[in-house]
Amino acid sequence: MRKLSVTGVNSKYAGLLGMLAAVAAGLAVLHAFDPATSGVFPPCPLLALTGWYCPGCGSLRAFHQLLHGNLRNALAMNPLAVLTLPFLAYGMASYAIFVVRGRYLPRIFVPAPWIRGLCVAVLVFAIARNLPTYPFPLLAPGGLLGLR
Amino acid sequence: MIFCSQCGTSNTDDAILCTQCGHNLRAPLETSPAGGIQPGYRAGGHVPNYLVFAIVVTVLCCLPTGIAAIVYAAQVNAKLAAGDIAGAQEASKNAKMWCWISAGAGLLVGILWALLAILGVMSHR
Repeated sequence: MRKLSVTGVNSKYAGLLGMLAAVAAGLAVLHAFDPATSGVFPPCPLLALTGWYCPGCGSLRAFHQLLHGNLRNALAMNPLAVLTLPFLAYGMASYAIFVVRGRYLPRIFVPAPWIRGLCVAVLVFAIARNLPTYPFPLLAPGGLLGLR
Repeated sequence: MIFCSQCGTSNTDDAILCTQCGHNLRAPLETSPAGGIQPGYRAGGHVPNYLVFAIVVTVLCCLPTGIAAIVYAAQVNAKLAAGDIAGAQEASKNAKMWCWISAGAGLLVGILWALLAILGVMSHR
C-alpha cells in the first residue's frame, strides 16, 4: 500500500514536470515569434473558414505582447484573455503546488453570479467584436490600436 | 469559531462552508491538525468546479461546449453556497465532462487543421 502511494506520487511529479516543460517550451516559442507576423502559428480554423472572431481570437498575440511587457497591446489584442489570465495562472500554480506539497493555495471561491456574469460576458464579447459598426470593431483583435 | 482545514480562515460555529474558499467544513474526514491528508478527504471535502479548465477551453476556441462547462461551474458554486453538497458534486461531474469534451474537440480540430495546413502547403509547392 505504502509502495503504491509512493509510485503514485512519482508519476504525479513526472506529469507535472512534463506539463511545466511543455508550458516553458510554448512560452519560449511564443516569446520568440509574434503570431501576428510570423507563420509559425497556424491561423485559427474558425477565422479562416468563416472570417469570424471567436472570444479567444487574438489571445496568442496578446500573450506574445504580455511576454514582451506590453500590457496595452495585449489588452488590445484580447482583453478577455488578459483579464482572466491572473485567475487562470493562480489556479494552475495552485494545482502545481498541490502536486508538490499536497495542499492547494487558498481557494478563491467565485460566487456563482460572477461566473454566470462571465458566461454572459463571453457571449456578448463573441458577438460584439464581430459587429461592423463603431465602436464594436475596437473589440476585434488589435482594434484598440487601430491595427485592423 | 471553526478554522477551515483547507485555507485556515476562521468561520462562525454554524458555518457549513468556508467563507473564504468554499471548503465543506462538515466533511466527514478532514485534514489532521498536522496537515497530513487522510483518506476520504478529497471525496468528502472540496467540490471542484473546474472553472480554470472551463475558461481555458472556452478561450482556446471551442465555444458552445466550453460555455456549458462554465455554466456547470457556476452551478457547482451556487449549490455549494446553498449547502447542497450532493447537487454540487453532480454539477461538478458535468463541468468536468464538458471540459474534457471541449478539450477533446479542440484537440481533434487542431490535428485535422494541422493536417490540412500541411497538405495545403505541400499542394501549393
